[in-house]
Formats: sequence, C-alpha cells, structure tokens
Amino acid sequence: MNRHLSTEQLSSYLDGEIGFFETQELEHHLGGCAACRSQLESMQRLVIGVRRMERVAPPRAIAQEVRQRIAAEEAAPGWRRRLQVFLGGMAFQPALRTSAAMGLAFVFTLFLLNQSVEQEQRNLQPPAEAVVTVQTYFGDNSPAPLPLTTSEVAGRQFVWLGERWIQRGLEGEQPQTLVAARSPEGRAMLNAYSDLEFLISDGSRVVLRYRRATVELSGS
Amino acid sequence: MGVATVSAVVHDLEIDAELVERHRCGDAQAFNEVYARFEGMVYNLAFRLSGNPEEAADLTQEVFLRVYRHLGSFGGRSSLKTWIFRIAINHCRDRLSRWRPLTMPIGEATGDGEVAYPDPARGPEDLAVAADEGRRVAAGLARLPHAFREAVILRDIEGLSYEEIAEVLGVRIGTVRSRIARGRDQLRALLET
Repeated sequence: MNRHLSTEQLSSYLDGEIGFFETQELEHHLGGCAACRSQLESMQRLVIGVRRMERVAPPRAIAQEVRQRIAAEEAAPGWRRRLQVFLGGMAFQPALRTSAAMGLAFVFTLFLLNQSVEQEQRNLQPPAEAVVTVQTYFGDNSPAPLPLTTSEVAGRQFVWLGERWIQRGLEGEQPQTLVAARSPEGRAMLNAYSDLEFLISDGSRVVLRYRRATVELSGS
Repeated sequence: MGVATVSAVVHDLEIDAELVERHRCGDAQAFNEVYARFEGMVYNLAFRLSGNPEEAADLTQEVFLRVYRHLGSFGGRSSLKTWIFRIAINHCRDRLSRWRPLTMPIGEATGDGEVAYPDPARGPEDLAVAADEGRRVAAGLARLPHAFREAVILRDIEGLSYEEIAEVLGVRIGTVRSRIARGRDQLRALLET
C-alpha cells in the first residue's frame, strides 16, 4: 500500500470496525508513513475530546411529566385508547394480525372495484360542466388584496383583465347580455358553474360564453 | 465481537424481552425500568442534537410517550436500545426540522438548574480544562451538518457500533462509515480554525 490512507480508513481503524487482514495492511502502512501516523493521532485526539464531553443529567421534572401524561392517557376512555389496546394486543397474535390485514386488503379491493365501476358509469354520461380546477398565481392586476387568479370551469379559463374576469378567447368582445347573479338566469348559471361564485364573491364581474352568447355575470 | 461482548449483548436482549413481556402483561414497573435505563441516553442525544436543554426535555418526553405507546408491539428484531434511539432520532429530525436549524454553539454547562455528571476520577483543574475543551467540541459539533452530527454523536458520545448506528439511522454500514469519517474530519477542521 503506497498511497496515503483515507480519512475513512483511519476512522474505521480507530473504531476497530475493519477486518483482520485490512488491519494488518493498515498497520504495516502506518509503520512506514509518518504523515498517516500524524493524521491518525490527530483524529485520535479529536475522538478522545468528544468522548470526554460530560454527560448531562436530565432534569427530574421530565420523569414526572412523562408519568402524568401517561396517567392522563390511561385514564382517557374512548375509541383511541381502545384502538391502541386492540392494536397492541394484535402484536401477540401474528395470525390474527395477518387475517386482519388480509381482511382490510379485501375491503379496500372491493372499494376500488366499486369506484372503478362508478367511474365507468360516469364516463358514459354527458360530461358535467361544473367540475373545476383552480390555479392561483401572483400578478399585478388582481382585485386587491387577492392574487390574480385563473380559473378553469369545465375546461374554460378565466383571467382578470383590468376590471372583470374574462373567459379566455373572449378578450375584446362586448357582452350581449348582462346578468345579475341574484336573477333567475344568474342563479341558473351559478348552478351550472358553481365555481363562478368564487370569482364573483368580491363583487367582480365575469364575462363568459353561455348558451351560445357572450354574457356578463355581475356579482353585485 | 468477543465472547464477553456477545454474552453481554445476549444478556441485554434477555432483559429487553423480559421488560417488554412484563409491560404487555400490564406491569407498570416495567416501563419505569425502561425509562430509568434509557432516560439519560435519550436526553443527551436530544440535547446534543438540539443544543437546547428545554427542547431536549420536551423531546425526551415525547420520545418516551411514543415508547410507552408502542412498547407492547416491539418485535425484538433489534435491541430495545437501538429501537429507542431510532424513535428518538426520527422524532428529533421531525421536530427540529420544524423548529430551527442548530447553528448556535452549544455549551458544555447547561445552566437552568441542569447538572452534568462529574467524573470523580478527575481533579478540579483537570475538570476545568475538560469543561473548556468540552465547550469547544460542543460548539464544533453544533456546526456539523445534521447527518454527520448524528453519526458522530451516536458513535463517539453514545458508543454505538457501526452496525447499531446503521440500524438506528436506517442506512447501510458503508454510509455510517463515511458519515463518521467525514463528520470527524469536518469537526477537526472546525476546531483547528
């Protein structure tokens, strides 16, 4: 071994965490290499320094606090305690634990199957328009103090432009109809696109395409 | 591992198994014994990791509550010591990541009514020098990256073997070897500056 020993080798050697043959090889190298011996001694001094640090006695109050909290937990009736006792008891009976795990897995599988059938049925129906995803980002034109928001309502995006939320693609278009949110027509729109309530809740107006017309919905 | 060490380990495992069994059977004294055996170890680990006596006291409480809740399901695949250390390390990581990174130097003297265990074999002068040296080392330890600090504390202060540290940290022995070596190297560099 001609090259110098690595820090990892010296550290493991110091801890006696290397094999017999590697130890012999290292000791042979250390016998002829003053630089590595010096490194080893330096590390040894450090380790002695760390090991000599005094241990700190824990405050007595900890034990008392722990006892009190345990006593409070023990005294507390209810589902949590019973569940803990039940789960703790299962540790004694691996067969019971395995059975319970299999049972849970079975119930979960049934749930997933049921969900997938329901999803299949939903796919056969016309798409619901009121399913929304809301994305939020910061901008300069938002109605203060809220950040500028784009909202996807049944696949449509709305952006805040100056004073109104405009459905993307309708920028620059003049609304053909003005609808108040409280009017029957407005309520029908909100029934169809419930997420619009989020946009008009602060009194903002929303321009969107509704029943082949460009409509402005007013929250106030 | 020598014959004496193996027999000590087997003895410890037997004590662990007996304590766990007694706890399962509702013997309240069993948990008290577990607490007495490992309280100092957990508190010192929490203190060295957090650098704050109050935080260490809170962490110790939380760790032992978890130990109490789960002792009945302890499977005995490791020793009780490494199991409790693992709970403590995970809890400290979780709590301290939300609390604050430890960047302040920590002192050997703890103040606030805390007392260090004095070594009766040392004279007063030696103790003073050791305390000063201890403060320097503690300050250096506090500046180590968390992963290295954990490894060095578990090895050099708590005296765990590489295998035990690997179990506690949930990493391979090679990683333990590397973290201890790099931690010591960085600590040495910090103390030299």
